Amino acid sequence: MSTNPVTYQKKELPGSVTSMAATATIAGLILVLLTYWLDHSRGLFNNIIGLSVMASVSVGALFYVALEYLSGAVWSTPFRRVMEFLAASVFGVILLAIPLYMNLHEVFLWTHVDALARDTVLLNKTPYLNVQFFFIRGAVFAGLWLMFYWVLTRNSRKQDATGDQSLTRMNIRFSTAFMPIFAITITFFAIDWMMSLEPHWFSTIFGVYYFSGTVLAALAVATFIIVSLNERGYLVAGLKKDHYYSLGTLLFVFTNFWAYIAFSQFMLIWYANVPEETFWFVSRWRNGWQYVSYALILGRFIVPYFVLLSQPSKMDVRKLKFMGIWIFVAHILDIYWIVMPSFSRSLVLGWQELGFPILITGLIGLIFVFKSKRENLVPIADPKLQRGINFRL
Amino acid sequence: MSTSVIDYSIEPPSVTGNPSAVSIDHSVSAPLDRKPSRGWWIGISITGTMLAIGIGCISWLFWKGTGVWGVNQPVGWGFAIVNFVFWVGIGHAGTLISAILFLLRQRWRTGIARFAEAMTIFAVICALIFPLIHTGRPWLAAVYLLPYPNQHGVWVNFTSPLLWDVFAVSTYFTVSFVFWYVGLIPDFATLRDHTASKVKKVIYSTLSLGWRHSNRHWQHYEKAYLILAGFSTPLVLSVHTIVSFDFAVSVIPGWHTTIFPPYFVAGAVFSGFAMVQNVLIVTRRFFNLEHIITVDHLDNMNKVILLTGSMVGYAYGMEFFIAWYGGNPLESFVFLNRAMGPYAWAYWTMVTCNVVLPQLFWFRKIRRNIVVMFILGITVNIGMWFERFVIVVTSLSRDFLPSSWHHYAPTLNDIGVLIGSFGLFFTLVLLFVRVLPVVSISEVKATLPGGQPNHH
Amino acid sequence: MDKKILYSITALFDTPDGIIHAAEEVRRAGYKKYDVHTPYPMHGMNDAMDLKDSKLGFITLAAGLLGGAGIFGFVTWVFVKDYPNVIGGKPYFSWPAFVPITFEITVLSAVLVTVGALIAFFFKFPNNSHPLHDTLYMKSVSSDKFGISIQADDPMFDEEKATALLQTLHAQSVQPVYYDEEELTRSWSTFDPKFLLLLAGVAIIVSGATYVTMNILLYLPPFDWMSNQNKFKPQSTTEQYSDLRMMRPSVEGTVARGFMPYPYHGNPDAAGKNLVNPLPASKGVIEIGRTKFLTFCSPCHGNFARGDSRLRGQFPNPPTLHSDKVRNWPDGNIYHVITEGQNIMPSYASQITRDERWAIVHYVRTLQRAFNAKESDQQ
Repeated sequence: MSTNPVTYQKKELPGSVTSMAATATIAGLILVLLTYWLDHSRGLFNNIIGLSVMASVSVGALFYVALEYLSGAVWSTPFRRVMEFLAASVFGVILLAIPLYMNLHEVFLWTHVDALARDTVLLNKTPYLNVQFFFIRGAVFAGLWLMFYWVLTRNSRKQDATGDQSLTRMNIRFSTAFMPIFAITITFFAIDWMMSLEPHWFSTIFGVYYFSGTVLAALAVATFIIVSLNERGYLVAGLKKDHYYSLGTLLFVFTNFWAYIAFSQFMLIWYANVPEETFWFVSRWRNGWQYVSYALILGRFIVPYFVLLSQPSKMDVRKLKFMGIWIFVAHILDIYWIVMPSFSRSLVLGWQELGFPILITGLIGLIFVFKSKRENLVPIADPKLQRGINFRL
Repeated sequence: MSTSVIDYSIEPPSVTGNPSAVSIDHSVSAPLDRKPSRGWWIGISITGTMLAIGIGCISWLFWKGTGVWGVNQPVGWGFAIVNFVFWVGIGHAGTLISAILFLLRQRWRTGIARFAEAMTIFAVICALIFPLIHTGRPWLAAVYLLPYPNQHGVWVNFTSPLLWDVFAVSTYFTVSFVFWYVGLIPDFATLRDHTASKVKKVIYSTLSLGWRHSNRHWQHYEKAYLILAGFSTPLVLSVHTIVSFDFAVSVIPGWHTTIFPPYFVAGAVFSGFAMVQNVLIVTRRFFNLEHIITVDHLDNMNKVILLTGSMVGYAYGMEFFIAWYGGNPLESFVFLNRAMGPYAWAYWTMVTCNVVLPQLFWFRKIRRNIVVMFILGITVNIGMWFERFVIVVTSLSRDFLPSSWHHYAPTLNDIGVLIGSFGLFFTLVLLFVRVLPVVSISEVKATLPGGQPNHH
Repeated sequence: MDKKILYSITALFDTPDGIIHAAEEVRRAGYKKYDVHTPYPMHGMNDAMDLKDSKLGFITLAAGLLGGAGIFGFVTWVFVKDYPNVIGGKPYFSWPAFVPITFEITVLSAVLVTVGALIAFFFKFPNNSHPLHDTLYMKSVSSDKFGISIQADDPMFDEEKATALLQTLHAQSVQPVYYDEEELTRSWSTFDPKFLLLLAGVAIIVSGATYVTMNILLYLPPFDWMSNQNKFKPQSTTEQYSDLRMMRPSVEGTVARGFMPYPYHGNPDAAGKNLVNPLPASKGVIEIGRTKFLTFCSPCHGNFARGDSRLRGQFPNPPTLHSDKVRNWPDGNIYHVITEGQNIMPSYASQITRDERWAIVHYVRTLQRAFNAKESDQQ
């Protein structure tokens, strides 16, 4: 069966997007530098938030690219380029990790040899928590992510020119290989950068928790971009509410999934009441941090849940765009809630916390614009594209 | 048969051989109109015997009390809870196929959804036996399981995971049953109009409630189906989550670990898919449904088995890693004890069957080879049964106090009840294939090529 | 045929596109009471028929919220107000532990109400006597045809026009469907004697069968494991011993544990002579004596042993213990009276232990001393 050629006319993104992204990047950078200058370690902790959110968006987007190949989904094919562009932000992850690697000592308790000597629990962890291994892990993770980003998007790009179906098959293979690697890297990334901030604390579900937030954040950002682009006709014609509905449903499902994982973690620790685990939650329930916890429950679960509950609202353009931004912000709040109590036992929230979110938003925007100038916004020769456009529930 | 090169630009058909809507009616209702075959009689006599063994063992249990089981201090939870968790897990695949794959618009589910849902209900029935009989005097169990106003002025403990179980499993059973029945209504109507027998017509008319295939009804029906699927999805997660809470809210090393909820759910789907796959292989063979339940469907199921098996493997790994990383000596002891202690054989059976063998499904040839996948499906279920055994028994038999360590071994009665539960399950399955349509007629028709209007 | 009433004009189509087109045309023609029958839900048909979105979701939402809030409130009431109980060191209102049950009941109530509303309210089922049932039309749409039916009760219905409209749409077969007159007029009486007889017959058979099954076929003796144990019972017989008694008599001279023989039975003087109070007159002992005195002795002898209790005035008056006779008794005599009783006073040996009796003796002495203090005491 021959495929109908899809009519796609490439349109450049308006210059205003570029200038907005550049402004955000510069403004964020100024705030970040100011924070570093005024309170060095607060800047570092915020840097971890920025790093983790950036990793969520980029690696999460790569996860969706792989997921589409693996599951054989068609509705998302017209949007896959957006995910691929977002995945390019993985370069930003490396960029954001550099200042941290230079100052590990200031952030992680377990790098302090004098503290270890008195603490047998930490001493037992040194085979895993030591600076050398930490570096190696980080390098390996970044290398794997870059490699899979490069392979998957290169094949996809090549297909634009040739329309060769064997590239799809090849990408399915690579996606298969990527999935277990994704699961392991994202887990240990979360353990390294977030769980080990409180080196005594442990939770087996923590990797899954970060995963649930990651896929949600990447999807939220992508939803915002996809809906905005499609509204203005930057993508192919024929994408309708069925596609929006799928996006909305996925957002809704992952919101519930996050709540499920978060509640399970809290519930088990709260119920069993073992002091070596509960202190992590106790410190997030005191000294002002409880308001952040309430905000997290409200912002990350209750609001998205009720906004996206009804069927019409899952395909409502305005609600989807709003939820895209909202959930992205909620993810930043979530990471803030995980990271910052290790910096200060009582609530810290000020302009210093704005620097990194603004910076990464700008960076993601810049990378997106940069990629969109060189590539088509739609994988025009993907064999599944026509099916994807015709997709109906 | 599909060629080795797949064309991604066309949608894979959910049935093969391009059957017409009428032929679907015939192939699905044929087993209901025929006299049972010899194979069916042989099958039901085997499962009936197993069921009789189970009934005998349970009667003896009621007569003598739970002393006939192998449980004793400190292993107070033996086969009964292992079997309970096992059967509840088996049930999860059905809801997953019928609800989650429905929400994901996976068309390949249509051929297998009905069967899987039926297996959910049967598995939950099997599961429900165990919490009841483990009380020894189940006719008294209502007193401490159900919250009813009573003269003592006491309520059941709503904060106990064991009571959550009562609510979760009974809700799960009710909702699965309703979901299943709602799905059956249009098919009953089709059978009503298709059958030649007067008695059957009365039965099918009653069961169809007077369904007329009216679009004004379909409209609400589809909405209801969507709502039911939307509810079943979190429900199915909640059920095994709550089963995992039974263990995880305690402070027993090896039980108290936060990954239990998703890990149990993945394991449940894993074993359930393996069971559905096994039963479907037999059914499609005996009832000539190879064109409706195709190798592609089985291939997809094997992919899900591989996926969930890997999730279970991930959880094993995380548990081991955190047992060491957490630095709690009791916790790390339990895990070393699992791998090297007196139950190491069970542990390594579990790892082999659940993590190692399913990796064979990476190969497309194996995913599409009926014999190999059948065997792998069986080993998965053996592995998953042993997983529950390992979790329950190893943690209890060697707990905090070495002086009270005790080796648990099942008695003949334990094994007889387990055999009986398998007998019950397969007897119900065999009865089901005789009296109800094993494939959703209306759903399969809806996904036939040319079954939907071309879009204007 | 002439007895029958027209229900609708029906038409069958072969293809999904045909039926969608037909539905659109019939709607455009202005018909309101028509319906499309397809063996499975047809995509785009709701738009073609211009149906409004199903309102079922609101019922679900309401039922779910009500059920969830109801059970959460109920559990809260049980744990906070009706039966507060500390479980696992948690506060009474430990909401995380209420979440699982709240969730389950939310799902249960939402699902049951949704399906109940769907069947009873939206479908008006069960209804097995619709005119379309048992028609060739129904058999066709049950299988692989797509049908449309324009009802006769539509305000603009006209048999010929409707038939013509359907024929212009290239329908397969256009057929009228009629009500069954007999079915419409048939009525059932609850007090029909035949029906009552049937009911009676069913009742007799069911109760008889139940009786036979439960009381004869499935009869089980009540579980009596408690009285049926593998052990010898004290009051039964055995062949093992020559006297056939199961319970062995005790060896000669055996004394019950804690038993002390009281050798002065009926002999107060000997008791007075030989017994000496073994307890010191310490504050603690006197305090015990006071407690026991107030419990056992004061009802008759009065709070201060002056024989002035409520019983005074009845025969015989309880005596005061401040009489010279008692004051001059040796301790052993008082002890003897408590142990054995005297006149109408019963023995208190079973209520008051030996040491307590001696403590009471001390207390009585204390009282006597307090009421007849010597010169030296007052100094």
